[in-house]
Amino acid sequence: MDFNTLLKKEYIILDGAMGTLIQKSGAQYDHSPETLNLTRPELIESFHRAYIEAGADIVYANTFGANAYKLADSGYSVEEVIAAGVQNAKNAAAGTDALVALDIGPIGMLLEPAGTLRFEEAYEYFRQQIVAGAQADVIVLETMTDLYELKAAVLAVKENSSKPVLTTMTFERSGRTFTGVSPAAAAVTLTGLGVDALGVNCSLGPDELEPVISEMTKYTDLPLIVKANAGLPDPNSNEYSIMPDRFAQCVEGLLKYGVKFAGGCCGTTPEYIKELKQMLDGKSFVPCPKTADTAVCSASTVVEINGPRIIGERINPTGKKLFKQALVDNNIDYILTQALSQVGGGAEILDVNVGHPEIDEKKMMTRVLKSIQSVCDAPLQIDSTKPDVLEAGLRCYNGKPIVNSVNGEEKSLSSVLPLVKKYGASVVGLTLDENGIPKTADGRFRIAERIVSRAEALGIDRRDVYIDCLTLTVSAEQEACRETLKALHRVKTELGCKTCLGVSNISFGLPNRELVNSTFLTMALEEGLDLPIINPNVEAMTGAVRAYRVLASIDKHSTEFIEAYNSAAPAPAAKSETTMDLTTAVYNGLKTEAAAVTEALLKDSEPMSIINNMLIPALDRVGEDFEKNKIFLPQLIQSANTAQECFEVIKRRLSKEGGENVSKGKIILATVKGDIHDIGKNIVKVLLDNYGYTVVDLGKDVDPQLVVDTAIEQNIKMIGLSALMTTTLKSMEDTIRLVREAPALQNPDGTSRCVVFVGGAVLTREYAMKIGADYYCRDAKESVDTAKKVLG
Amino acid sequence: MITLKAVNKSEAVRYLGGAGVQMNEAMERLLGECEAELLSCAAPKYLYSVIDLPCDEITMGSAVKKHLAGCQSAALFCATLGAQVDRLIRVYQIRDMARAVVLDSLASAAIEQACVMADEEIAAKLPGKYLTFRFSPGYGDYPLELQRIILQRLDAARKIGLTVSDSMLLTPAKSVTAVMGISDSPIEQKRRGCAVCSLGKTCKYRKSGEHCGL
Repeated sequence: MDFNTLLKKEYIILDGAMGTLIQKSGAQYDHSPETLNLTRPELIESFHRAYIEAGADIVYANTFGANAYKLADSGYSVEEVIAAGVQNAKNAAAGTDALVALDIGPIGMLLEPAGTLRFEEAYEYFRQQIVAGAQADVIVLETMTDLYELKAAVLAVKENSSKPVLTTMTFERSGRTFTGVSPAAAAVTLTGLGVDALGVNCSLGPDELEPVISEMTKYTDLPLIVKANAGLPDPNSNEYSIMPDRFAQCVEGLLKYGVKFAGGCCGTTPEYIKELKQMLDGKSFVPCPKTADTAVCSASTVVEINGPRIIGERINPTGKKLFKQALVDNNIDYILTQALSQVGGGAEILDVNVGHPEIDEKKMMTRVLKSIQSVCDAPLQIDSTKPDVLEAGLRCYNGKPIVNSVNGEEKSLSSVLPLVKKYGASVVGLTLDENGIPKTADGRFRIAERIVSRAEALGIDRRDVYIDCLTLTVSAEQEACRETLKALHRVKTELGCKTCLGVSNISFGLPNRELVNSTFLTMALEEGLDLPIINPNVEAMTGAVRAYRVLASIDKHSTEFIEAYNSAAPAPAAKSETTMDLTTAVYNGLKTEAAAVTEALLKDSEPMSIINNMLIPALDRVGEDFEKNKIFLPQLIQSANTAQECFEVIKRRLSKEGGENVSKGKIILATVKGDIHDIGKNIVKVLLDNYGYTVVDLGKDVDPQLVVDTAIEQNIKMIGLSALMTTTLKSMEDTIRLVREAPALQNPDGTSRCVVFVGGAVLTREYAMKIGADYYCRDAKESVDTAKKVLG
Repeated sequence: MITLKAVNKSEAVRYLGGAGVQMNEAMERLLGECEAELLSCAAPKYLYSVIDLPCDEITMGSAVKKHLAGCQSAALFCATLGAQVDRLIRVYQIRDMARAVVLDSLASAAIEQACVMADEEIAAKLPGKYLTFRFSPGYGDYPLELQRIILQRLDAARKIGLTVSDSMLLTPAKSVTAVMGISDSPIEQKRRGCAVCSLGKTCKYRKSGEHCGL
């Protein structure tokens, strides 16, 4: 029997728990239960046989935790344990129709951003298991709680094997996994990645799974898997609460959601599987087609494109001096701030473009995508003209993204669409080709048709192709606006595709651009625009979309509209600009007021004199009060942030005038390798920023070599390192040593050109000196004092 | 199953370095807002399991042996506020660092509260027994490596999503692992105290002549 033949059965019965049987048997093992594959093969084989006799069509080999991390000290290799595990199951299945699954569970370490395990490392763990389990018939990825880890595993399967793959995740009663994955996001992402079936296992009993299963099925046409626990264990007796007959009854109640695979997890035994088989005998599979429209997602949030959805356009360096500078400086926080403020403004999806000639776009794209996803739930649109950048982004993205973009050129079609298919994304299709943008709606429609047919030929659903009919500047070609809208209408109605459109191009060269933009946006929405790409922080634009949703009866009962506008308190009227002095505003952390006062001061004061005579003294006073225990750390930070606001006002003025640089020097900050607790480092960063230093923030878990390379590349003379744990102090020491040893960071006389300051909960001044630091800083304030001493 | 209804704000204020700092209205408000936000996303969970003593794997080093002296069994324990709290603090490090700092302190207070509630539930399930305080890896010479062993024994990754990194950091961050001695007869109530603490002389409370309260 092979998997495709098996799929023809109405229902496919999976086995029950392995761990429960091992526990009940009292079998002893030294390290992990998987080692029993080698020490007690006959016992493991007998468990498989019992499940096959009870009716299981697929048995899971005893390989759940057989990865290099968990087996590290077991004395056995992954290859040995997996080969033996698969063989035991094969022996039991011999002479029957049962198939053997290579069973793969979570690695046991948390992936970035919450943990330290990198996506690529996770992939490698899984690859090793998949190669070792080559003899199995099917691959099962189960008990996953992190969609990102599961994605690494699915890619490892797809790239190292041609076997069918079944995936199940574990949800809590809250309806989410531990890491916050929603059933909908799991369904959307895994369906895109091309798994053969998906569903749930473990954690809950079958009586509690209805909310999870019913949500999943809305977002996929794939058959679902239910492998539930036998209820909850009693902590004292370890007996489970749901008996076999009731278990089968509960599963029966879930069949209407398109469940085709059923088995048991913790607490289940062959009895449970027997009951399941009896219940399923003679029943026909109930297909449950997906009801949701095309959707994109992050791990936690699904955005269904069933009405106009706003794509935020601000993460893009084009025409933005500060953004370009942030890219060059590796200032990821600047980009994250843009992301969060767009979501705050009403964006539901964010476009991410980091193309800039002075940087490595591929590296930056993966870094930015991962960073945004660590703080922001909105699905992302990966925007680049380079296929290798798109692929790097697609690989590391958690969820189902949009690719921006493909166009009608052969080169583009043949390089971008296969990536979209492989990584299960949606794609923006631009209606242009080798010959440029067709003048007529008809020309653009034909390109759209071509893109859709090429996509479908690769198995991409046309609803996942979002056609952009391209906005041209109305002041240059007045008729072009009509053609764009005509094309958009035809694409929507004749091709059945979703549509997107960058809106603001329309008004170049005209006064009152906002008025033109929002009017054009409203016209486009009425023609069927689904995905306006706009600046969501421009109230008129977001407002037009929200109002349209009400008027087109998409926003039922105007709920979202009322939520957006009813509760919004009117912005407090700016106080009279002259009543407050800058020092008071900074001291009390009053951002808006301080910025206004700075603006006013700039009318007749020199920027540098405002900085040196007002801002710095104000900050110094706050710093002193903090040291004297008169104010709390958050107050110090608020004041520093307020000063930052003032610096920004001044910076903008200076960059307009092209005048002197206000930076007092560059400083590298890094939380050392192995350490992910970086709040302390981030506080130092905020303060240094606010005192006018330029911080090159390398983030957390930073490789020592990266510190050295960055210091050399950017000619930086001051380096700050933080470590929280005694276990990571070693990394700090290694980093300092590497800095001292690098010839490029030494003076001609062999002394170090770099000043290193360090801090962290477990450090002492003595220890800091012992590992070769120049300064120990007790807190963020002392870091600023040190910077003043070193850089002035 | 434990639920936090309020966070011990005065404890959080102490973590903020606030002994002796004058509270003002703005700080009070900030604390209150952060508390509400923290409570809405904290999902405190704990696990424990009772093992018989002696157990060499668990009793490494002299400090824990002293701690468990006279106990016939011990409870392995772990607790976490969940991954969403980490994320919340991460988001505020971008949006508003002052808030991040307050949330971080509140979360530290909250995990200790959750542990105390768990202690009580565990004690209630062990009638007639006497429990020592929670002794955590990192205290005295009790190796941090024990975190991994405790979590593995409790199957914590699967059951409550609590893991430890290669460099022995618990993730989610606001989490605790510990071992508690169980005895049939009353035990002399030792305090945790500075003597067993891994921070030793570097502790900021001790430096200013205070005590962290544990």
